[in-house]
Amino acid sequence: MAENFEQHSDISAADLARLTQEAQAEATPSTAKIIWSEFKADKPAMAALIIIVGFILFVMIGALFINTPKMMETNIMGYFNQPFTADFWLGADSAGRSVAKQLIVGSRNSIGIAIGLTVISSTFGICWGLISGYFNGYIDWGMQRIYDFMMMLPMTMMIIVLVTIIPHYNSVTLTFIFSIFYWEGTSRLIRSRTLAESEKDYVAASKASGTSHWKIIFREIMPNISSLIIVDCTLSFAENIGVETGLSYLGFGLPSQTPSLGTMIANANDPNNITQYWWTWLPAALEIIILCLSISYVGQVLRRAADSSQRQGSVN
Amino acid sequence: MSLIEIKDLKVHYPIRSGFWNRITDSVRAVDGVSFNIEAGETYGLVGESGSGKSTTGKSVVGLEKVTSGSIMYKGLDITQAENRRKLDYNHDVQMIFQDSLSSLNPRKRIEDIIAEPLRNFEHLSKDDEKLRVLQLLNIVGLDADALYKYPHQFSGGQRQRIGVARAVATNPKLIIADEPVSALDLSVQAQVLNFMKKIQREFGISYLFISHDLGVVRHMCNNIAIMNRGRLVEIGTRDDIYNHPLHIYTKRLLAAIPETDVNSREAHRASRLAVEQVYQDQQGKYYDENGAAYPLVQVTPTHAVALPQTIAQQLASQEGEVQA
Repeated sequence: MAENFEQHSDISAADLARLTQEAQAEATPSTAKIIWSEFKADKPAMAALIIIVGFILFVMIGALFINTPKMMETNIMGYFNQPFTADFWLGADSAGRSVAKQLIVGSRNSIGIAIGLTVISSTFGICWGLISGYFNGYIDWGMQRIYDFMMMLPMTMMIIVLVTIIPHYNSVTLTFIFSIFYWEGTSRLIRSRTLAESEKDYVAASKASGTSHWKIIFREIMPNISSLIIVDCTLSFAENIGVETGLSYLGFGLPSQTPSLGTMIANANDPNNITQYWWTWLPAALEIIILCLSISYVGQVLRRAADSSQRQGSVN
Repeated sequence: MSLIEIKDLKVHYPIRSGFWNRITDSVRAVDGVSFNIEAGETYGLVGESGSGKSTTGKSVVGLEKVTSGSIMYKGLDITQAENRRKLDYNHDVQMIFQDSLSSLNPRKRIEDIIAEPLRNFEHLSKDDEKLRVLQLLNIVGLDADALYKYPHQFSGGQRQRIGVARAVATNPKLIIADEPVSALDLSVQAQVLNFMKKIQREFGISYLFISHDLGVVRHMCNNIAIMNRGRLVEIGTRDDIYNHPLHIYTKRLLAAIPETDVNSREAHRASRLAVEQVYQDQQGKYYDENGAAYPLVQVTPTHAVALPQTIAQQLASQEGEVQA
């Protein structure tokens, strides 16, 4: 059969290298290149990206050099120490613990939970939505009833109850508890697009080419809704920082001996802290605002890169 | 033996209604269609939109769930999914789609699109695969620099040729061409059709050519089946259909072909109106009481029409007299 093609085409194995090179010269830039040129065209987004990456690297590495149990010991001599001193760069809280060090370890914990939660819940939600939307019929019906049941549960209440029931929990178990509830929005969003995508002719063409269902779902349909997935992931990452922070603020998040952005903002529960000891809560609050703003800037760039009519970068 | 034999194919879609959402009726998209496709020929399937010709095509390629009937290929009924798997059916039967843009995955490069059936069925080495893709591009008249581009960077005609290249990639025996040129303008239509004919000559492929454009069908097909309301109303060779049409639906379709002869415009108009008048007056004669076409009866060895035996004979003899 190969001879059949040899006969009717004047291209032979000898031309392969030359033609490949020619084709590569004409190749369309990859998605990664388009995203990068989009960042270069938008200076604030570039700054936001540097802030996010730099900050995450800083707290991840910095936290390794901090002895957390020792840091969290009460130090009566440092009671509400003023900020900008040699021992306490950002001052100390009511137990004389360094705010700067707590901020580093706390950010590590909060961001770690947010990343873990985004990875787990988005992966699960995307798979759930893709499978449900692609197979349709009874499978879709069953999966959507499970989804409806999960949506019906009051999320915050359930998390609070679970956290109370489980005797020893840390940031890892907390991430898993959050993940049980945070895949739903993503899955519905992905399902609705998958329903539309799987009706298109290229899916039929892939079936007619003998491609398996799983390959069609993850190699054909998923890349086509990747813009939606990227935007949804960045936005839910920003949201997930707030999830842990909010619960810790209420006192149901991480245990009080584990610093987090939420426990630090909870310092603002005390009116004395708000008026006199601003350094106990303000840095954490500012950090959350800056992080979330930066993430939404990055999300905007990614959305523009995915939609060719909105692009500002020079690579087409 | 024919390459593929379609027997009494039915595709019905359920209509659900009422409080319990039960099946109350069904849409008979394809309702008892039988025909054979010979190796190396182009078989035309013609009809108005909604007549079920695309559904028939999709059933043959295995994309549509068949309600009843059989499609025999190499002695196995390929309406069963396990038989399709056993035969590597789609290695031998491929499809060209109507909409060239939506049938090519917008996120994949041309190399990956054309190589997709090769990867599933032939498992070539990387270099052999690339070489095959380059040869295919060459056969359909595209340059090698198309290899790493995306579908949206090509014109409609080029895209349809990429679709043809993908369908030809595994050297299939039958290609279902579902209105392959109806979205293209006339000059590009001719270009794509000629590529399809060239490929047929070189590789000995059969086509099931689905179209509503009788001019294109005349150019492409040796045998033609006319489809109306889910059933075949007339089967015959090109000569049977174009020169000796018997069923009123075929006559209407033929009357609808535009003529460029300006001088006898009035005469054409009169003959079109006459056909329409016959259709309006004699619908009861050509369709049964439910408005469905009759079963096919053989008039000549190659020609069959969906009419009661007596009327068919009568019309055939009339037709003979006119010819004589």
